Amino acid sequence: MSSRSKWKRWPGWLALLLVLACFLAYGTAKDSGPLTPEERVELITQRIACPVCDGETVYESANPASAAIRSEVKAQVAAGVSTDDEIVAYIVQQFGAQTQLLPTASGFDALVWVLPAAALVCAGVGLFFAFRRWQRNVDAVPDDTDRAMVEAALAAESADVEADTGR
Amino acid sequence: MTEPVTVDTPADKPRRVAPFVVLAVAVVMAALFFVLASGTSGSDDEVGIIDSPLLGRAAPTVRSTTLDGEPFDLARRKGSWVVVNFFNSTCAPCRAEHPALVEFAEQQKSFGADGAELYTMLQINDDIDDVKNFFLTRGGDWPIVRDDEGTTNVAFGVALVPETFIIAPDGTVVLRWAGQIDADTLSRLVQQQREMYAGA
Repeated sequence: MSSRSKWKRWPGWLALLLVLACFLAYGTAKDSGPLTPEERVELITQRIACPVCDGETVYESANPASAAIRSEVKAQVAAGVSTDDEIVAYIVQQFGAQTQLLPTASGFDALVWVLPAAALVCAGVGLFFAFRRWQRNVDAVPDDTDRAMVEAALAAESADVEADTGR
Repeated sequence: MTEPVTVDTPADKPRRVAPFVVLAVAVVMAALFFVLASGTSGSDDEVGIIDSPLLGRAAPTVRSTTLDGEPFDLARRKGSWVVVNFFNSTCAPCRAEHPALVEFAEQQKSFGADGAELYTMLQINDDIDDVKNFFLTRGGDWPIVRDDEGTTNVAFGVALVPETFIIAPDGTVVLRWAGQIDADTLSRLVQQQREMYAGA
């Protein structure tokens, strides 16, 4: 591969990195403004599993236990003392870890966050090497050994043809 | 006829990466299976003495009113053994348990001032008229405490009724019972706690 063709690809990669950086910056800096108490209650109750029913959040469950939790969350949000995480932690402490829908980012639960990211990085690295290998094969320039092999093969083929026609 | 010329170059050699990837995925899957299989599966219909983060700690603050409109403050019950039974008039095991609670209340009355006090704690969305009718027809003259905001049920971590808590005279939660209970078991548990408390 010539050094010129190598440099030719850089603008594409730089543009890709720039777009990625822009998206990341926009995503992290995006501020949709302060939440209303109702929105906070909605978000918090969607993070808590109904302690009695299967597959429902406290937000959507009609069970008395869920109704009590919704009411408690509403009261704590109205009091304005606790953060969302503290309110969820209080409910989880009372009803058990099975009510926590979003795994924590520490201990064994952290694997849930780490594994997909690690898989993504591994896949990216794998693709990078695979692309490089394919590209190297395409860019291969024949050297003297290759030319000698081709000449030998052509000579052998013409010898076969001559032998066939002379028969 | 001459044999075709074949030359092996390093690039043509197949790289045996796939078996390692498959092995790694298999190891991860096996580890996940082991973790999930060895995990404790929560049972919703567990009956008997169960764990609670409240055990050994001061009972949560409960300030409410009874069905008769009287103010109720659990902290003011200090000095007595207190049994709090969480109830819902639409819950079949709660209704089935009721005669046992009536019997337990009678047993405790016979102990005079040393007897445990029984309280029924309602759930947030129970129909008050239904509760009143239920107690009127099935008996039970102990205080029935409202929990209109659900705060008490959440503070005690009650998800399924009936549930029963025993609270020592110093205000500490000493036992949690999930599911239906009979009068003799409840009396025996209160007595056991009383003896342990006296020996401590």
